[in-house]
Amino acid sequence: MPSPLDLADLPFLREALAEVVLLATAGGLLSAWIVLRRLAFFTHATGSATFPGLVVADASGVSPLIAGIAVALGYAGGVERAGRAGREPSAATALLLVAALAGGVVLASDVFESGAAVDRLLFGTLLGLETADLALSAATVALAVVASLALGRTWAAIAFDPDGASALGLPAARADFLLLALVAVAVVAAIPAVGALLVAAIYVLPAAAARLVARSIPALLAWSLAFALAEGLVGLYAAYWLDLPPGPPVAVLGALTYAVLALATGVREARLRAATA
Amino acid sequence: MSGIELRATLEVVLAGGFCGALGFWVLSERLAYAGESLSHGMLPGLVLAALAGAPLLLGAAGGALAAAGLIALAARDPRLGSDTGTAVAVTGLVGLGSLLALAPESPQRLEELLFGDPLGVGDGDLVAAGALVLAGGAALAALRRPLAATSFDPAGASALGLRPGLVRLALLVMMAAAIAVAVEGLGALLVLAVLVGPPVAVRRHVRNPGAAMLAGGGVAAAAGVAGIQLSAQAGTAAGASVALVLCAAAGLGALLPARRLG
Amino acid sequence: MTAAVVAQGLSAGYGGRPVLLDVSFAADPGQTVCVLGPNGGGKTTLFRALMGELEPLAGRVDLSDRAAYVAQTERTRLDFPVSAFDVALMGGLARGRWWLPPRRSDRTAARAALERVGLAAEGDTPFGELSGGQRQRALLARALVQDSAVLLLDEPLAGVDPASAQLIDAVFEQLRAEGRTLLVSSHDVEGARGFDLVLCLNRRQVAFGPPAEALDRATIEATYGRELIVLEEPGAARAVTIQHHEHEHGEQ
Repeated sequence: MPSPLDLADLPFLREALAEVVLLATAGGLLSAWIVLRRLAFFTHATGSATFPGLVVADASGVSPLIAGIAVALGYAGGVERAGRAGREPSAATALLLVAALAGGVVLASDVFESGAAVDRLLFGTLLGLETADLALSAATVALAVVASLALGRTWAAIAFDPDGASALGLPAARADFLLLALVAVAVVAAIPAVGALLVAAIYVLPAAAARLVARSIPALLAWSLAFALAEGLVGLYAAYWLDLPPGPPVAVLGALTYAVLALATGVREARLRAATA
Repeated sequence: MSGIELRATLEVVLAGGFCGALGFWVLSERLAYAGESLSHGMLPGLVLAALAGAPLLLGAAGGALAAAGLIALAARDPRLGSDTGTAVAVTGLVGLGSLLALAPESPQRLEELLFGDPLGVGDGDLVAAGALVLAGGAALAALRRPLAATSFDPAGASALGLRPGLVRLALLVMMAAAIAVAVEGLGALLVLAVLVGPPVAVRRHVRNPGAAMLAGGGVAAAAGVAGIQLSAQAGTAAGASVALVLCAAAGLGALLPARRLG
Repeated sequence: MTAAVVAQGLSAGYGGRPVLLDVSFAADPGQTVCVLGPNGGGKTTLFRALMGELEPLAGRVDLSDRAAYVAQTERTRLDFPVSAFDVALMGGLARGRWWLPPRRSDRTAARAALERVGLAAEGDTPFGELSGGQRQRALLARALVQDSAVLLLDEPLAGVDPASAQLIDAVFEQLRAEGRTLLVSSHDVEGARGFDLVLCLNRRQVAFGPPAEALDRATIEATYGRELIVLEEPGAARAVTIQHHEHEHGEQ
C-alpha cells in the first residue's frame, strides 16, 4: 500500500489533491442547497447533458471549460424556463439525456476517434488535471461561499415553503436561477476529476448523509463539508492506490457513508420508539 | 446482410418491439424516471456477470433486483425525498459498477455494458428476447383492461374490484424484465430510449391503448432496423445509433400535428 | 328488508390517524342519501371506507353489493386515450373476468348506458374532448354498466352545465325507482332537502336522518362552521356554503 503522504509529496498528484480539496469544499456547501431544494436530478442531468459538448471541445481544441459552461448554462436555462427544476424529470428530459450520452459516444468513438476520452469524461481522471481546471474549481468555491452567505437564507426559506417565500417579498425566482447557474458551473468544474456521470458524488451524497445527523442548516453545511472532504480525500487515495479514476471510489464512499448513517440513525430511532412506547 | 447484422437486427426488433409496446404504460403510470434509475442501477450486476463470464441476462436480472431494493429503501427516507434518495442509491451503484469494471485486472468491457453491444448477440440472447415477446405479450394482453382502467382512474378502478397496487406491481415487474433483456443491445445508459421513445413518438397520434401498444412496438422495431443499418453504413457504434434513431423518432412524433389513428 | 348500506361506529383515516370519527347510519334499497360537509370534513374518506379502499380504524361497514363510484372528473386523466364508449365499457370489469376482452353483453350495456345519460352520439369522442358535464355523464354511464345496487357519487353536479345536471337528476330518479341506493356528496344544503336522508359530516357525524329533522340551523352551523352564509329571504332562510379547494389528508 502506497503512503497517503504521496498525495502531497508527488508533484503529479498534488494537482489532484488540490482539485479534490477545492471540489470537496464547493461540494460540501452546494450539496446542502442542492439537497434542500431537491435539485439532485438536475445536478446529475447537467453532467450528462454537458458530456457531448465536452467531447467536441476536447477533440476540436476549444477550451472544454468554456464549452462545458456554455452547454451547462444553456441546459440550466432551458430547465428553468420550463419550470421543471426541482420536479420529477419528464419523459422528454430522460430522452434528451439519453440522446446526449449516445451522441457523445458516437462523436467520441466514431467521429473524432477519441474513444479513450469517453472513460475519462464519464468517470474522471487522476492525472492530467490542468491549471485551468484548478482555477475553475477555486472560482466555484469562491462563488459558493459568497452565494451561501448572500442567498443562503433565501434559499432556505424557499426550500421550506416556496409560496410563502414569495409572499415574504423574497426574490425567489432570481435566487433560484442563480442557484441553478451556480450548480451548472460547479458541475463543469467537477467533471475533470470525477466525471460527468458521477458529479452527484460530490454535489448530492455528502449532504444526503449530513441530513441524517444535522438538526439545523448551519449544522447541515458543516457536516456536509466534513463528509465531502473525508470522502474526497479517502476516495482520492483509493484511486491512487488501486489505479482507478477518482469518480467511482468517491461515489461508493459517499453512498456507504449515507447507508451506514441511515442504519445507525434508524436503529437509534427504533430504540427510542421502543423506549417511549 | 451479414449473420452478425441479422442477429443484431432480430434482437433489437424482438426486445425493442416489446419495450415499445410496454412503454405506453410506463409513460401513463409515470414510471420513466423509475425505469431510468433501475437501468443505471443494474450496472454492478452487469459488471459482475461479465467478470464471471456468466450470461449478461443473469447479471441484469440480479442487478435489477438489487437496484430495485436499494432504490426503494433510499427513496423512502423522508428526510431526503424520493428523488434525492434515488439519486443516492443510483450514484452509489453506478460508482460501484464502474469501480469494478475499471479495475486494471478487469477485462475492458465497460463501454459495451454502458452503451450496448447488439453485434455481440448470441443465441441465448435471441431466445431470451423471443421468450420476452411471448410471455410479456401474453401478460400485456391479459392485463390490458385493468391497466387502462387503473391508469385512467385509480379510485374508480378500485371500485370496479381491481387492485391498482397489484396492477402497478405487475407493470414494474414487466418493465424490469424488459430492461434486463434489452440492456444487452443498448446498454445500461441508453436502454431507456427503447422504453420511452416509442410511446412519446406515438402518443399524440393514437386513440386508444391498443393502438398505442401496436404503434409503439412498430416504431421501436423500425427504429431498431434503421439504427443497425445506420451503424453498418456509417460505422457508428451500434447501440448508440439505435438509441439516437429512437430519440429522433420521439422528437418527430412529438412535433408532428396529431393524427388520431386507431 | 335488509339495509343496502350500513355503517356502525366507523372511524377512518390515513396513516393511523383518524380524519373521520364515529359514523353510524343505514340506508335501505331505493333510498337516496345526501352527504354534506365542508372540504376536509371526511366525505371522500367515508366513500373510500365504503368502497373498501380504506380499512376502518374502528367500527365496520356493510354493503349489499360492491359500490359503484362516480368520481369528480378532475380526478380522472384527461389526456388518456379513451373514448366515452371505452369509459362506459370499463364498468364491465366489475362483473366479467378482467383478462378476457369485453363481452358482447358488456358492449350492449355500455351503449345502452350512454343512451341513458344522453351521450349516444358522443360514443367515439375522446374523453378529454368532452365538456365537463359530458365527462360526468360518461363516468355515470360507467357506473350504470357496473350495475351495482349501491352508487357513491362525489359531488356529481359540481361545475356541470344545467342541461347535463337535469339529465343526471333524471337518471338518479330512474335508479331510485330500480331500488338502488345512492349516496351523493354535495355542498348544496338546499338541494339536500330533496333527498330521502341527509348525513352531515364535519370530521365526525353531526346529524343523520330525513332532511326535515336533520337539517336545522344548529346542525348546518355545526357542519359548516365558518364556511356558511345564511341568506334571509322572505319566508325562508337559504344557507349557502363557501367552498375552498383544500384536499383531505392523503389525497393526491
